[in-house]
Amino acid sequence: MTPAAELRGVGVTFPSGVGALSNVSLGLPAGAVTGLVGESGSGKTTLCRVLMGLQAASSGTVLFGGEPLPALLARGRLAFRRQAQMLLQDAAGSLSPRMTLRRLLAEPAAIHGLPRKEAWARTEGLMRRLGLSPDLLDKYPHQVSGGQARRVAVARALVLRPALLVADEPTAGLDVSVQGELLNLLLDLQAELGLTLLVCSHNLPVIRRITTETVVMYLGEVVEHGPTAALFTSPAHPYTAALLSTRPGAPGRITLHGEVPSPVHPPAGCRFHTRCPQAQTRCTTEHPELRQAAGQTVRCHYPLVGDPAPQEMA
Amino acid sequence: MTALLRITGLHLDARTPRGTAHILRGIDLDVGQGRIVGVVGESGSGKSTLALALLRLLPGNVTRLDGQAVMDGTDLLALPDAAMGAWRGSRIAMIFQDPATALNPLFTIGTHLRDVLRRRQPGLSRAALRTQAEAALRRVEIADPAARLRAYPHELSGGMRQRVMIAMALLAQPTLLLADEPTTALDATVEAGIIGLFRGLRADLGGAILFISHDLALVADLCDDIAVLYGGLVVETGPAPAVTTDPAHPYTAALLACAIEDGGSGRLPSIPGDVPDPVTEPPGCIFAPRCPLVEARCRAEPQPLRPVSPGRAAACWKAA
Repeated sequence: MTPAAELRGVGVTFPSGVGALSNVSLGLPAGAVTGLVGESGSGKTTLCRVLMGLQAASSGTVLFGGEPLPALLARGRLAFRRQAQMLLQDAAGSLSPRMTLRRLLAEPAAIHGLPRKEAWARTEGLMRRLGLSPDLLDKYPHQVSGGQARRVAVARALVLRPALLVADEPTAGLDVSVQGELLNLLLDLQAELGLTLLVCSHNLPVIRRITTETVVMYLGEVVEHGPTAALFTSPAHPYTAALLSTRPGAPGRITLHGEVPSPVHPPAGCRFHTRCPQAQTRCTTEHPELRQAAGQTVRCHYPLVGDPAPQEMA
Repeated sequence: MTALLRITGLHLDARTPRGTAHILRGIDLDVGQGRIVGVVGESGSGKSTLALALLRLLPGNVTRLDGQAVMDGTDLLALPDAAMGAWRGSRIAMIFQDPATALNPLFTIGTHLRDVLRRRQPGLSRAALRTQAEAALRRVEIADPAARLRAYPHELSGGMRQRVMIAMALLAQPTLLLADEPTTALDATVEAGIIGLFRGLRADLGGAILFISHDLALVADLCDDIAVLYGGLVVETGPAPAVTTDPAHPYTAALLACAIEDGGSGRLPSIPGDVPDPVTEPPGCIFAPRCPLVEARCRAEPQPLRPVSPGRAAACWKAA
């Protein structure tokens, strides 16, 4: 199946010298839910911005529906925006405090010059699905709860019927008692509309539950990629293993020592070797390439699963 | 168990444009000597306000603060301002959620630590100050403490700054340490290390730790006792393992059910409805509008916290 969007060897270096992404290759299967995990500074947000055409890649190729993104953007930014929408992390903060929910919900159709009546009918349909009462329409964002503001942001993103939705931490800051409902609604709409969904999150139980593929990033690189179920039951990369062990109730917590190194001067060799519990001499000098280990793709000289051959070489 | 701190009937109201907000509606809570007590609740439950009320660091719109918070025979809420000032940072210390804003950007880490030491032991020599400050950094597992003492807060990562905050709290040697979401701003793998430090802190501190968090699983893992807050009230208290394996209050049960299980499938769990509006004063149980077990009696009568079994209490007439 052709991926809905694809990155091939994408790198992003900021003028400050910060290498935010390094040689990232990644395909988002059309109509599927992919999860992106990693800690602060791993490059998750930059990756989302590259996919949305908000940040140009310094190297490599970004494809959307098989077409290079720069060409699509040159043809028309608005047309591309109708295809790819982003749910920002601070949903409440992304809503103008000076506009009522009615105006906020009508704004996407106005910007894109869609027929007003038809678009509003669609908005009303989405509001019903999202459990947003029409009584809320004349309120301002600060007058509604965090969960409601989040649902307004979802309606704004989906009214354009995009093919791709990138959700950056869709539940961050939401109380646990309401996060489940929001995710249920998002997944219902995803299935109904055949959306390709990329979810970036710190919340590992959420990623495990709602995605079919998971991508793990560390310091701007993809360190592991594979089917969610396999990756969570038998992680191949030591970083994935440590990250997964922080989940509540996970057996045998692996405590990593040291801090995440600066992305300005990433460590030589494997970028994770400074914190890796099983780093060896080779890891300090030789940068590992992505390779297959069992069903996953992993960037490690000594993966925890699959092909045991490299261990013998050590 | 002797209580180091006994909070009874703590009420706090604040003036807002929409009317009087009832932030704390009568908190009852005992903090046992030597215990780590977890205070869990969702946004608006009053957990941070509770900590600030104990330190009396309250904004100007507070219109009512009643009840008692007795520690070592002294009611914190009745202390004169000057005496309260002397308690802050010595007998009661606090670790805030965001270590980036809790440290002064103009001063080095060394200055922060030495200030705490001088307050505690005036007249310490420069050499003694340096030795003790370095030892404190080593205690919180910061490598190369001598160099770190010369660093400014912005030169450290978030996890390192929170370690510095913990080192400051250690040097203050408080009887009661308040920690308000100390790991919420940190990454998961960094959080694991900080939680490890808290476990060790209990032995170093003679007193108790009040650990405030929205994360029930984290609190269950770290704390000895749990108090579950909802809408400005404690709805359940008890030893952590008992509360999390056999909750007595329907809210605790619903909150536990919201945890996303490995290997689960189908709809994700949630609690229908919204948290209570602090401006309203419901006549009955604060959780009644969202409670799956609600009956007419729940809506009519307030539900005070009552003992349900040795060491455990719940604010629900149905709890047994």
